[in-house]
Amino acid sequence: MSDRNTTGESSTKSDGGTVIADNTLVARWEEIREREATVVGVTAICVAIFPWLFSRAPVISDVLLGYQSLATLILIWGIFAVGFDLLLGYTGLLSFGHAAFWGGAAYAAGIVANTVSADPIVMVVAGTAFAVLLAWVLGFLSLRRGGIYFSILTLAFAQMLYYMSAAPLAFLTGGENGLTGISVTPLFGVFHLESDLPSVAGTLIGNWMYLFVGVIAVLSVAAAYRILNSPYGMVFRAIRENEQRAEFVGLNVWRYKLMAFIISGAFAGIAGSLFTIHGSYVPLQSLYWTESGEIVIMTVLGGTASLFGPILGAGLYLYVENIVSGVQQLTIPFTDIVLINDFGTYWHLLLGLVFLVVIWVAPRGIWGAVSDLRALVRRLAGGDRR
Amino acid sequence: MSIVSELAVILLNGLQQGAIYVLLAVGLSIILGTLKFVNFAHGALYLVGTYAGLFIALDVTLSSGKLQEWGYGEFGLGWGFLAALILVPLFVFAVGLLMERFLARSFYDRPDTDQILVTFGLAIVVQELFRVLFGSNSLPFTQPEYILSVIPVSGPMQLPIVGSFPRWRLWVIAITAVLVGIVYLLVEHTDFGLVVRAGTRDAEMVRLLGIKISRPYLVVFGIGAALAGVAGVVGGPLNVVNPTVGMNILVPAFLTVVIGGVGTITGAVVGGLIIGLTQATLIGLPSVTIASFTLNFSPWSQVGLYAIAAIILLVRPQGIFGNEEVAP
Amino acid sequence: MSSDPDAPSDATSTPDASRSGETLLETRGLVKEFGGLVATDDVSIDVKRGERVSIIGPNGAGKSTLINLITRRLEPTRGDILFKGESIVQMEPHQVVQRGISKSFQTASIFPDLTVMENAQIAALAAEHGEFGFNFLTHRDKLTDVHELAEDTLEAVGLLDRAHNDAEDLPYGDKRRLEIGIALAAEPDLLLMDEPTAGMSPEETQATVDLIEEVKEEMGLTFVLVEHDMEIVFSISDRIVVLNRGGVIAEGTPEEIRGDPAVQEAYLGGVEL
Repeated sequence: MSDRNTTGESSTKSDGGTVIADNTLVARWEEIREREATVVGVTAICVAIFPWLFSRAPVISDVLLGYQSLATLILIWGIFAVGFDLLLGYTGLLSFGHAAFWGGAAYAAGIVANTVSADPIVMVVAGTAFAVLLAWVLGFLSLRRGGIYFSILTLAFAQMLYYMSAAPLAFLTGGENGLTGISVTPLFGVFHLESDLPSVAGTLIGNWMYLFVGVIAVLSVAAAYRILNSPYGMVFRAIRENEQRAEFVGLNVWRYKLMAFIISGAFAGIAGSLFTIHGSYVPLQSLYWTESGEIVIMTVLGGTASLFGPILGAGLYLYVENIVSGVQQLTIPFTDIVLINDFGTYWHLLLGLVFLVVIWVAPRGIWGAVSDLRALVRRLAGGDRR
Repeated sequence: MSIVSELAVILLNGLQQGAIYVLLAVGLSIILGTLKFVNFAHGALYLVGTYAGLFIALDVTLSSGKLQEWGYGEFGLGWGFLAALILVPLFVFAVGLLMERFLARSFYDRPDTDQILVTFGLAIVVQELFRVLFGSNSLPFTQPEYILSVIPVSGPMQLPIVGSFPRWRLWVIAITAVLVGIVYLLVEHTDFGLVVRAGTRDAEMVRLLGIKISRPYLVVFGIGAALAGVAGVVGGPLNVVNPTVGMNILVPAFLTVVIGGVGTITGAVVGGLIIGLTQATLIGLPSVTIASFTLNFSPWSQVGLYAIAAIILLVRPQGIFGNEEVAP
Repeated sequence: MSSDPDAPSDATSTPDASRSGETLLETRGLVKEFGGLVATDDVSIDVKRGERVSIIGPNGAGKSTLINLITRRLEPTRGDILFKGESIVQMEPHQVVQRGISKSFQTASIFPDLTVMENAQIAALAAEHGEFGFNFLTHRDKLTDVHELAEDTLEAVGLLDRAHNDAEDLPYGDKRRLEIGIALAAEPDLLLMDEPTAGMSPEETQATVDLIEEVKEEMGLTFVLVEHDMEIVFSISDRIVVLNRGGVIAEGTPEEIRGDPAVQEAYLGGVEL
């Protein structure tokens, strides 16, 4: 994070405050890398070319076997994961109940679509608002106890919501069958989400659905980045590091934790609403604890306490779930030697094992490993700076 | 049936359902209280217990999964239920020891969240391993008819007031009562228990006093695991048997612990009974018709469990028997 | 807090003479029981503005318990605590800090993964912007007041040149200085210090004593100190309170305490000081 002080000296973090004398390319990149506009811009570019690379580019997409709809889904879960990491990675609170906000928002968006308006923007606003309210209530209840109790209570309340949707509230939610019959109206009344964008944009980005989700995803990343650079970002990390000390400098730790919970609930709500728009259907499963478990796995795999790690984790998880699971035989590349037959059956098991190993030996996830590598390269490239 | 007998049936059903939760919660609670270790894989131990019990007691025909594909469609020892009841706790006890030694121990000094994450990961791996091996389909765990060929344990039994009641459910209550009683005596009235209780209060102090605490820890973990295994064996015939049973039972088991208060066996028992009775009551209550609106309680049975838990925790955050000074 | 004229950034200000002598902190019949054990037994003390009061006593005398009661880390069984005439026993710890009582911990209680500057900024944020705010979309670079206060604090404790190090990389003595800095950045009226020199080398101890003197001169802070090192206690205290078995057995100037036979008997075991 940027921790430049007001005197404006250009010093880099963790390098002992030494001023960069050499104006090398690396140094200049270091300088602009942390700027807000750079982060948002790079994110926007990546989001824009991702569907083409993933599902249409020559060679690459043939290897990846990606498709447009999965690209959209990855962004949706990416938004969810970014918000979840604000809570888990930065504030140090492990919620096992975020399915409540994801699924709750998905249902709220779907119900609003079926009863009031199926405009995509209305759906996102309604779903997110519901998730925020729900996060406020559940956060208020769950944060009464710290540590493990918080994890257990969030899990319990989310399960309660699942069982409510399954039977007593079936008249609203469709019960076991899920919420059906949602037909999303065109964006601004003009653009059909499923139709392709014109000319080059169509090749690059694909359809209006992806554009809609992509714009919200970039805005979400921008918001998350701003939050991390606001006083909140610092307070969240302080609470994670030493909650008691944070209280004893005069900060209302409880309210900050509640805000962390509500903010991450809002991100989950945005993502959940988009999930309904994307699929025109809300499965009952979306409230089940397994969804809470999935977001935990994605975030941890990708790398907690980083902005992009969780998105990476979401992408990886969904890729394995949707593409790798369809692979029948795992062969050694360019040969016919079969390593594992019926490979798809094992995908969940393998993911579980990878997750276990990551927790055990690399708790900072894939992004953490990448950062360590980058730090190593930087040290080798500019050894004179320390 | 009279109201009294209906209430008696609800009570017994609640006791039986609660008994399973109690078996799980006692283990979770003493592990959490003594070792300060959060075990999200406790449900996986239940899963192991159920499957182990099934395959020891019966001969099972697998309809899916790798074992069936590999030609082991007929699987199981068929040694009968008593053998399962004796062997499974020993087996799961050993599994618990391995788990403490090779997994939990390296996480005692790491943050709570890491403990939750690693045990959650383990639970997934175990669940998926079972899914791959034995398939996702539910397996039939038929209730045993006789133990030692003479003691009947299945079928209905005529009881005073209650009338006819499934005999197996009574056995579940009885087995739980005996086992929990033994663990209670062990913890409250032995030197081992003294160390465990002292460790619950202040692990640091016990260590300073020079008591080597790693062995009692190992045993605590093993006992907790064995109880989860027993829960799997006795609970198996009452529910479906498939790879997700472990995770599904974990949440109510944790609620039981949180309601009763961490580290107390009494708390686990009371918590389990509250949850079991709440569930049984909501399922057992007849529907009420007010004007044209019919209120049916049974869909609320799962919800009610969480609602009760929420209310108790709002009134008493440390749980009914929890100690405020000890609770983190 | 932010309007307090005694803000540390304003180094030229001197304590308001008309207010010194006024009672800042007062405990009335404070009792804390743990089960059957009485850790604090009917303690009534008062601390006047600008004073430096040391609390001493043998191990287990209830010194830390008393500090923890004042900072609201522990709930008293009975009794009342008044700060600036206002009862604080119903308050949350952070509210007490916001009222002007800051605490330096016995161990280096810092935020290890944050930079030294951020450590100071956290405390400065609480001092300048209160216990909570909805400023989650405000960039930190805009909070110049926080940056200035944090910088002044680090300068005061001599850590400004290490501002961009991670706090966990500091040597132990510097961590303790940072921890004192965090307590100071809260802009307190009253600073409670729980064994500020514990675990320090003689040089670090001297530096800390100098720091305390300096802060006292510049900010006109009121101190309550729990300390084992008798040399420090007798050199910097205006008044000493002696606790034994939870209760106050003596109270007075260093000279009075030095000559008090009850203190020598109960606490010092008859050894001449």
